[in-house]
Amino acid sequence: MKGLLIKDLELLKVQKQFFFMLIVVMASFTFFYEDTSFILFFLTFSVSLLSVTTISYDEMDNGSAFLFTLPVSRRLYVVEKYVLAVLLGGGAWVFSTLWLCAGGLIKGTTAVPEQLLSAVLLLPLLLCVQAFMIPFQLKFGGERARIAIIIAIALLTCAGMAAVKVAEALGADIENVPDRLPAEGMGAATAFAFAAAVLLLLLSVRIGISIMEKKEF
Amino acid sequence: MLKIEHLEKRYKNFALNCSLEVKPGCVTGLIGQNGAGKSTAFKAALGLIFPDGGRITILGKDAGELTSADRERLGVVLSDSGFSGYLTVRGLIPVLKNLYRAFDEPFFREQAGKLGLPMDKKIKEFSTGMKAKLKVLAAISHDAKLLILDEPTAGLDVIARDGILDMLRDFMERDEERAILISSHISGDLESLCDDIYMIREGSILLHEDTDVLLGEYAVLKADEEQYEKLDKQFLLRVKKEPYGYCCLTNQRQYYMENYPQIAAEKGTIDEVMTMMIRGCER
Repeated sequence: MKGLLIKDLELLKVQKQFFFMLIVVMASFTFFYEDTSFILFFLTFSVSLLSVTTISYDEMDNGSAFLFTLPVSRRLYVVEKYVLAVLLGGGAWVFSTLWLCAGGLIKGTTAVPEQLLSAVLLLPLLLCVQAFMIPFQLKFGGERARIAIIIAIALLTCAGMAAVKVAEALGADIENVPDRLPAEGMGAATAFAFAAAVLLLLLSVRIGISIMEKKEF
Repeated sequence: MLKIEHLEKRYKNFALNCSLEVKPGCVTGLIGQNGAGKSTAFKAALGLIFPDGGRITILGKDAGELTSADRERLGVVLSDSGFSGYLTVRGLIPVLKNLYRAFDEPFFREQAGKLGLPMDKKIKEFSTGMKAKLKVLAAISHDAKLLILDEPTAGLDVIARDGILDMLRDFMERDEERAILISSHISGDLESLCDDIYMIREGSILLHEDTDVLLGEYAVLKADEEQYEKLDKQFLLRVKKEPYGYCCLTNQRQYYMENYPQIAAEKGTIDEVMTMMIRGCER
């Protein structure tokens, strides 16, 4: 695992310009805008999804074939990609949360508890996105994965909209449920969302392993 | 070390069905034309593709049961794949150190220096020769017991090829239990390195012979029509019609030299034997 993580971090050194760009965008937002919570989403998701980028690097020039001749099992490879995604996403989340809190305090614009609440709410979403993206990349690879993800998002959006419409027809207003929750209920809902996201991520790891174990190189 | 028994792999336009064995202390060569099935056999042995039949035993275990610890005892070079081009040799060292417990960093660094491999240049910017040297160096730097090398010298000039063959000879000299399976379509490389050679064609093993026997006892006889008529044909493996008469492959050179001194009997080279085995007709 450590060898693979080092390999991926070495590969991510290629993305130096990307990291520089992230810092510039963050600094610009902090300086020019009052509501800087966008930074939290932007940085956390951008950095977390670099794990998917490393899969592309591995696949380049049929590199996966050689990778699996090294002491690396397919299971370990998949688990490492999720660990990397969580480490990168977690690191970026901590960094951007601290950045936002510091920015909020210095500028006196947004209250720190409010910033922390947005940050905590983001975590389940982050895990869900990772749970969604990594298996697609493992299954389809490169350009095909991007197309498959766009199709899947479109289908999910349509399914969601259809569910809301059906619920409306049945007299239920599920769209505004979060707004009606009391403060205590919000905490429980967040905990529930977090647990559900972790379960989804574990299921995604299982799916990822199954995809890799069936692949030929 | 490695035993492939009746390995079967079927594709739309190609079927592999072969058996071969690599014994401890031996360098075994696999030679064949492009598309003959060399890489498919290697990939099946390494678990990169799933066979449709047969059995592969590697380091005493079924190929499907190899653990990461077992894989540490293998050194592999693939013809069409390698380390990510975005890594550097310096960046590769900690990766190998953490993947292989027996990784010999001082040896790797020393050899990289001797081979002129730049430490901080991206691998994708390396020449073909440098990439090939790096692949072989990585394969021999962690005390592997078995090397599986698919076309490690492909696309290299004579000097670079010679350098790689020297590395492999050194590797074998350091431990007599080590073994190598190497494929190439350059017969000269295999003649000088291998103890035995398998020839593969259209997915099937055409011939298996010790290199010494192949080079010492095989011969190509060149006979005119009259000489061919009188020739004892029981030791002829292949015959090919030529404008001057017949070209015949035998594995009993001495017999024909003694009994038919008037017929030219040229010592077999791997290229000639392979050409005759492929183009000649079976008797």
